[in-house]
Formats: sequence, structure tokens, C-alpha cells
Amino acid sequence: MGRTIISFVVDVASYALKGGTKYKAWLIFLLFIIVTGSYTAYIQLSEGLITIGATDEIPMELFFANFIFTAHVAAAAILVVAPGYFYHRKDMKELAVIGEIIAMVFVATGITFILFHMGRPDRLWHMVPFLGYLNFPNSMLVYDTIVLNVYLYLNLIGISYILYKKYVGEFDTKALARWFTPVIYLAIIWGPLIHICTAFVLSSNARMGAWSTAVMPFGFLAMAGASGPSLVILLFLMIRKYTKLHINDSVIDLMSTIIGWSLGIIMLVFAAEYFTALYSNTEHAAPLNYSMFGHEGLNMYVPWFWGTVGTIVICFIAILIPRVRKSYDRWLPLVCIAIFLAILVEKPMMLVFPAFSPSPLGEYVEYHPTFIELYNVALTWAVGFLSLTLIVKGAVGILTGEVRYRKPEASASS
Amino acid sequence: MSHKETDNSTKKDNATTSRRNFLKKIGIAGAAALMSDNASADVSAGSSNPDAEITASEWLQGHFVLMSDEEKKNAIGRLEKRYTAQYGKKTTVSDAPPLEGVLFGYALDISKCIGCRRCVHACVKENNQSRYNPVIQWIQVMKIPRGNFAFSAEKLNEGFPKSSAMGDYGVQVGGNAYAPVGGLSVEHADSYYPADEKVPDKNFFYVPVQCQQCEKPPCVKACPVRATFRDPNGVVLIDYNWCIGCRMCQLACPYQARHFNWGEPNLPAEEMNPKTHYFGNRPRMRGVMEKCTFCLQRTREGRNPACLEACPVGARKFGNLLDPDSDVRKILATKKVFRFKDEMSTYPKFFYYIG
Amino acid sequence: MKLQSAPVTIIIALALLAVVAGGLALVGGLDIRKEKNPGDNELAKAAATAQPVTNCFESRETYSAVARTENVVPQYGYPNVKCSNTTSGVLWYGDPFDGTIPMGEMPKVADETQGDFVNAVVKPREPRLTYFNMGPDGCATCHNGTIVPFPKDKTPRLIGMHQDIVANSLQLMHGRGALWCLDCHSATNRNRLLDRRGNEITFNQPQRLCGSCHGEKYIDWREGIHGKRIGEWKTGGKKRWWVCTECHNPHTVQTIRFQPINPEPPPPLPRGMKIADYVRGDQSAH
Repeated sequence: MGRTIISFVVDVASYALKGGTKYKAWLIFLLFIIVTGSYTAYIQLSEGLITIGATDEIPMELFFANFIFTAHVAAAAILVVAPGYFYHRKDMKELAVIGEIIAMVFVATGITFILFHMGRPDRLWHMVPFLGYLNFPNSMLVYDTIVLNVYLYLNLIGISYILYKKYVGEFDTKALARWFTPVIYLAIIWGPLIHICTAFVLSSNARMGAWSTAVMPFGFLAMAGASGPSLVILLFLMIRKYTKLHINDSVIDLMSTIIGWSLGIIMLVFAAEYFTALYSNTEHAAPLNYSMFGHEGLNMYVPWFWGTVGTIVICFIAILIPRVRKSYDRWLPLVCIAIFLAILVEKPMMLVFPAFSPSPLGEYVEYHPTFIELYNVALTWAVGFLSLTLIVKGAVGILTGEVRYRKPEASASS
Repeated sequence: MSHKETDNSTKKDNATTSRRNFLKKIGIAGAAALMSDNASADVSAGSSNPDAEITASEWLQGHFVLMSDEEKKNAIGRLEKRYTAQYGKKTTVSDAPPLEGVLFGYALDISKCIGCRRCVHACVKENNQSRYNPVIQWIQVMKIPRGNFAFSAEKLNEGFPKSSAMGDYGVQVGGNAYAPVGGLSVEHADSYYPADEKVPDKNFFYVPVQCQQCEKPPCVKACPVRATFRDPNGVVLIDYNWCIGCRMCQLACPYQARHFNWGEPNLPAEEMNPKTHYFGNRPRMRGVMEKCTFCLQRTREGRNPACLEACPVGARKFGNLLDPDSDVRKILATKKVFRFKDEMSTYPKFFYYIG
Repeated sequence: MKLQSAPVTIIIALALLAVVAGGLALVGGLDIRKEKNPGDNELAKAAATAQPVTNCFESRETYSAVARTENVVPQYGYPNVKCSNTTSGVLWYGDPFDGTIPMGEMPKVADETQGDFVNAVVKPREPRLTYFNMGPDGCATCHNGTIVPFPKDKTPRLIGMHQDIVANSLQLMHGRGALWCLDCHSATNRNRLLDRRGNEITFNQPQRLCGSCHGEKYIDWREGIHGKRIGEWKTGGKKRWWVCTECHNPHTVQTIRFQPINPEPPPPLPRGMKIADYVRGDQSAH
């Protein structure tokens, strides 16, 4: 058993590192950001958050905004898992593990963002149950921490189990271990949960007029349904193109259908929110007015607002067109990239930063991220994408059968 | 109730601390890096690097409220030793307990406040805030225009919604005389009025805002590790050594009363106030939240908060809400009193009144 | 598993090293720790380390002057007061009772306004009656009946002195013409005030004079609602009371309740913000 696990890790790792020039270049690019980013991370960790752009007026920074986005993608990964297990779609059951990998990597990336967000990451042990004291059941952050970590480990268990069993050639969908199906089902249910909890971390703050809205979890889930499958489509198209793993068109089509519906729901949620705020135009609409039209010459967020809303509308229309949906090598990836970036940008520039103006004492401020902050965000994304690339590559190797366990006497010859 | 002579407490070998000694030794190397810029001149030589040992013990300590008396004594001793060495003056860290039968309340007369900001700076002198990079001030004074209703009579027929060609028959639905009319609305507030114009300006009134010591504090609810809590006297406190710096409390506070040590606080030694309390004004560290404590180190010993003493017009009143003869209770009984952002249902014990 | 041959491994290692070195050089070379508002920090830094101001005032500029004395509380090395570097206003009291005397006997008014006077102390005004630094006798140095003769009656007339206090003695604002100097200042003992019944009152207890007309404020003051008190917060605790004239100038109070003063410096603008108008709330509606 021990030997098999070692050879599992070694085989997967050596397969994951192999690839063409583009693949190597991509890995080296990510590695470059990680290595250089470790210096900016060192500066931030040793000098404190004064090196980033946050202030007492806008205490939530890019890390926090990106964390929400990673929760989107992580939650959406169940959309790859659920069809295979709930609806028994044969074309997707095999791919479920890729969805779980996305979920695991993005939850881990989100937790990394939170570590960058924290003022005292060295005191993280205060949140460890039984070592520290959790403010249960009051603090929404406690719930969020719990659901995120449970989701991380659920997916970790699921992925390791499937991949390992496939590696040693014992995986049979008919004869799964009795504990495994409940774990997968729990992970599917848990996906929306991490999202709802993250939305509640925001909407539980009565002071934040722009956030105390009941549609926030719905908006979040809809954005998850748009941004997650966008990444999944991109990933699947690349896997299909560059590896031997076969992915049916039907899988891509299901994902683009989900994106279409999700974009529609996002638009409805936005419309409902904006109508409710703007018709009466009370002080609760002040942050929205600030986003949309600026305030006395402060209009940093205005182009981002209209750009994001415009992108979402255009992408919605585009994805309704069958020719775009079927253009697997050109328009669909473009639309997916646009949606992914639009929702990534929506987080800081529409959701988080403008919500702090006016402040409780009536101040209007703009957020100015520092270089260190931007670079640490890049670092975290680089770590996330590097893990995603390597784990997905390894998983593809196992799924296609290129990586599989050979008996010691067979492998000893190499 | 101040502890002065506990210098040797960290060296005491007992059952509770020996458990941590091993971890301490591991932690010293890492801790030395964290504390490398601290002066270690007068610290009695117990180990090769006493600062590091203090840091490691501090890092390992639990929530102060839940500590045993012995652990509290050690924690206080460590801090006194470190502060005394770091700031070059004999520093006391009190852990005076909450008072019996006392619920602190504060009242501020907005008809008297002249906006001189002396309370802001008195607070900084008393409470050892970071002086620069970041500048931390626990009180913010808003300047709010009075209801000077300058409106042109020519515009009386114009309004919002505008008359439209879509069939409103010329019936006017709204006006546009939106000029500010005073009131405790932050919509027209300015907290950055310059120091070179005299106060009070007769066209404005001034509203200082600090921690409102809510009876239903949203910050306490939001803290994931119970580092911030309401003490029996009704004051919301923070264990600076337990705070993890997640800033959820700052997000929850409707008064912008919580301030974060974004960087290592810069507190010049000559400016440092050596009379401190564990939950009050002891020097903070990087990456933790801080806020007004009603000058815990003073009020638990019977003295008024520093902001009250600084106010040149006597607009600030402090006292025991359970004592019907206290200034605050008399004000509540006789003046027009209101709470800031009442709609947030935080039930502050900081009252604004018109005297 | 396959192992890469040695030269390839070395080349990869060298390439990685180059990437690391290049990256560090790139990041290190950029000015990545630029502060957004360096000016504010410099100001605050200068203010924090400047020499302490010693000539301070409490509430009324030029009236309630205090000199800073070092080490009044030796236990903590506190001075009696700490003052603002920009306005000289007293910001902080090391010893709230420094230079005070007992308030003295106060009349009992009614049950609910007994007042908390047992431990009440005040800053005495009498030692400061040294107009023109004439001598220890205070006002009586000149107003002794010989250098300046005692006035015969209280009829308003133009006075050739003390225009800095009352510019035109025929237009004394206090009382809007109903009062004149000698209604409050004793004609024969200039170091004393007079109440409405002609009883002499010391300058340390002006509240007994002011209170004889301003009953409502006086009651509020006695109850601790109006006016300033420092020291202990407990009912019955030792408190230093501010008396009327420490905040109000009785000669001009009719038009200027409280003489405007300069405020302390504002907080620095939020990072990246330039003009205060930007962060000021909306002055016009939409």
C-alpha cells in the first residue's frame, strides 16, 4: 500500500510535468510569478497590511474580492459533478473528477487569499476548534471557515479516492466503496452552501447598505453558474485539444446552456436590485449611484460598472446564438474568457469597493491598490493555476490510462 | 489594582508553563525575526534572547479573559518587561477588573460641541495610538451644515420628476428644494475641515463620533474568535493578543469606530503613556484592531476619560447609568437625547443630546 | 518512472535560477513601497516629536492660561498638562487637580440641586487679578480710593481705561443696557464681585453672581449637566469644576457665547485622496 501511494504520487507528478513547449512555457510563466511574488508576499507578511491599499475607510481589499470570486468558481464546479451523479449522464460521470479538482483548487486559492487578507496570519490557530475559541453560532465568518474547509477536504477525499483507484485499476462505478457516494453527494450539496455562507458574510453587515440585500446569495449563485462553467469550458476545450481524453460536445453544450441561464438570472438579480434601490433613491442607493455615475468628480468605478454590465449583457446575447455556442475553437472560448474576466472584475470594482462609499460618516473614497497588493493577488492566482494545471494534467493522465500502476518488477527496469 | 513587581514571573517554572517551554524554544528563532527591531537594553538576562522568549510566550497565550490568575500574572509581567525595555520608561500594565454595579454611559451635547478636535488628540495622547503610518485616531469629528435654506423662488415651478411630454397635464409632482436642513445626517458631513479656520463656524454644527459602546454590538457578533467582547461594565473591549486581524468587526461597525493597525504602530517613546491597562491603552502590535474603550485604564480607577477632560466647552459627560444621580442619568431624564444611527438597532450607550 | 538525464536536469536548474534571479531583480528594482500620502506622515511625525509647548490655555484663549510643569506625577513621569503643538490648547491632564483649591461653600438651593460640592475644587481666579502686573493687591493696587477714586454711583459713563475688556463702557452688551460694570463689580472693593443683593463674592466663585440671573443654566451647572468637570466620574467623587468665567467672557457673552478658537489638525485624508471636497458629502442634491 505504502509503495503504491509513493509510486502514485511520483507517476502523477512526472506525468504532470511533461508536455509541449507551450505547456512548459505556461508552467515557467506561473513559476516566475510565484518566485517573484514570494518577495512581495514576504514584504507584506513582514511589514503588515500597510503595504496594501486598504484603509479604515475601505478595509476590504483585492484579496477579499478575489476570495469571493474563487468561492464562485469552487461552488460552480459541482455543475460538472452533479449531472454525472444525479442525472447519470454517462458523458459526464468520467469528468466529475475534473470538476472536483476545480472546486478543491479554487477553495484552496480562496483560503490563501484569506490568509493574505488577515492581519495576523500567525494567529490562525485561534480559529482552530479546541485550540482557540470560535464565536459559534454568532460569527458568519466561522460558518464560512467551516464550510470552506469541509468542502476542501470533501473534494480532496473524493479526488484522491477516484484517481488512486483508477490508477491501481480498481475503479468501477458499479462497485464504489459504500462511503464514497455519500461523500460525493455531500460535496455536491456543499457547493452551494459555501456560496450562501460567503454571501451571508457580506449581507450580514447591516451597515453596508449596498450589501444588505436578500438577493445576494441568488446573485452569487448565478455568478457562480456563469463564471465556473466558463472556466470549465475553457479547460475542457484545452483538454480535448491537447490530450487524448475524449470529451463529448454534449458536455460543452450543457455548460454553455448553464452559462446562458446563469447570465439571465444575473441580469434579473441586478435589475431587481437596481430597481429597488433607484426607484425610491434613498440613502441606500448612494453606493449604487456612486458606482453608476460617480460622485463630485470621483468616478473611478463608473467605467468598470458599465463595462461589466455591458459585457454580461453582450455575452448573454452572444451565448443565445447557436453559432457562437457551437464555435468551439473560436467564439465560445472568447465569450467564456469575457465572462470569467467580467465576473472577476465585478467583485472588487462593483461589489466590494464602491459599497464602502459613502462611509458610515459620509465620506466618499476611492480604492488605490498598491503594487505589492496586485502582485500578491497575481501570486495567489499563479499558485492556484499552477496547482490546477498540474493536478488536472495528472488526472487526465490517469483518466486516459497513460498513467497507471505497474507492478514493481515491471517498473524497476526503467 | 496595578501589577508592578512581576518581573521574574516569566522565569517561574510551574506545571502550566512547562508544557509550553518546548514550543517556546522552537518558536524563539522565528520570533526573533518578528521582534528584531525592539530594543532589549534593560531586560534581565534569563536566556540568550529574552525578547524572543517573551514573544514566543505571548504568541502562545490564550484569551486573557479565560486565563487563570497565574497565567494573567505572567502575561502582564511579560508585557511590562517588554514595554519598559522598548520605551525606556517604567510601564505598568493593569488588569484591574470590571467595577461592581456600574454600567458606563456617555453623553455628548451637540449644541455645545465647537468642533475643536481636542478630544481627538487628547485620546491619542492618552491611548498610545500609532502617530504616523498609520495615523490612528479613535474619534472623528463631523462638520455638518445647519439648515441654511438658500433657495431661489424662480425655481419653484421646476421639479423632479420633471414635467414630461408623456401626459402629466402640467400637474407638478415634485420640487427641487433639496438644500441641506441640518439634522444628524452624515450625507453632508465633512471630517477634514482645516485647522486654520476658527471654530465654531456659525453655519455648521459638529458631531464627534467614537465607539458607541453598543448594548447590541454588531462587531462582537461578527468576531470569529471572540477577541472582542462586551465587559460587565458595558464597554466593548478587544484582547489585542487574541485578535487575528480579519476586520469583520470593522465591516460590521456602523460608526466607523474601529481602527486597524495596518502596519507596525509608530509610537515615539517620549509620547508613550506608561500607565496602561491590558484591554485599554497598552501599546498595540501590527495587524490588530483597536478602538475607544472609554479610557478603561482611567475609568476603572474612577477617573474620567481623556476626551471628556480635554473638551474645552464641557460638552462631554460620563458616568454610571445605574446611578440615578450621575450626570448622564440626569441628562437622559431632562434633555432631548438621541442615539446615532438608531435604525441600526445597536442600542449605543453613547448619547447625543441638545442641552 | 523515468529520470531525466543529468545535463538536462542541470540546464533546467540553471534556467530556474535565472528566472528566480531575474524576477527578484525586477521586483526589487521597482519602487514598490511608495507611500500614497507621504506629506501627511511627515506632518504627523514632526508633530509627534516636537518640543512640548509650555504656555497653554484651557477653554478661553488668553484667560485660562496654564504653564506646563514637568514630573508632577512622578510615578508615571506625567507633566501637569500636555498641550497642542499647533494651538497651545490643553489636551491632556496628568494631574486634574493641579493648582486647585476647594470650591468653598455653595448655597443650598433645593433638594434636587444639592450639588456635588463636598469634593469640588476649582482653579482660583484671585491670584490672577494682576492687571498690568501692578502688584499683589490685585485690582485694589489702583482701585484703592486714592489712585482711582471710588465711583459715587452706578450711572453708566464713558471710562477711559480697560477698553480691551469693554471697548465702549456705554454700550456694555451684557444685559443689553440693563446692566453696567458696577452692577457686578464692587465699587469699593474691586477685588470682589457683587451679587444681586449687594453681597461681596470672590472672583473664585463667579457662579454665585451669574446664577442669580441665569437660574436655569445655574441649576444645570449645579447638577453637572452644564459646564465642564474633570477628575473622578463617580457621584460625590473629587472633581475640578469649571466656573462660568472659565468658558464665557461675561463682558461679551451676549454676542459671543464662546470665543471661537482654532481647531486641532484634521486627520490625514484617506489614502490616495487629494482634496477634502472629494470626501466631503454631497452638497447639492440630484
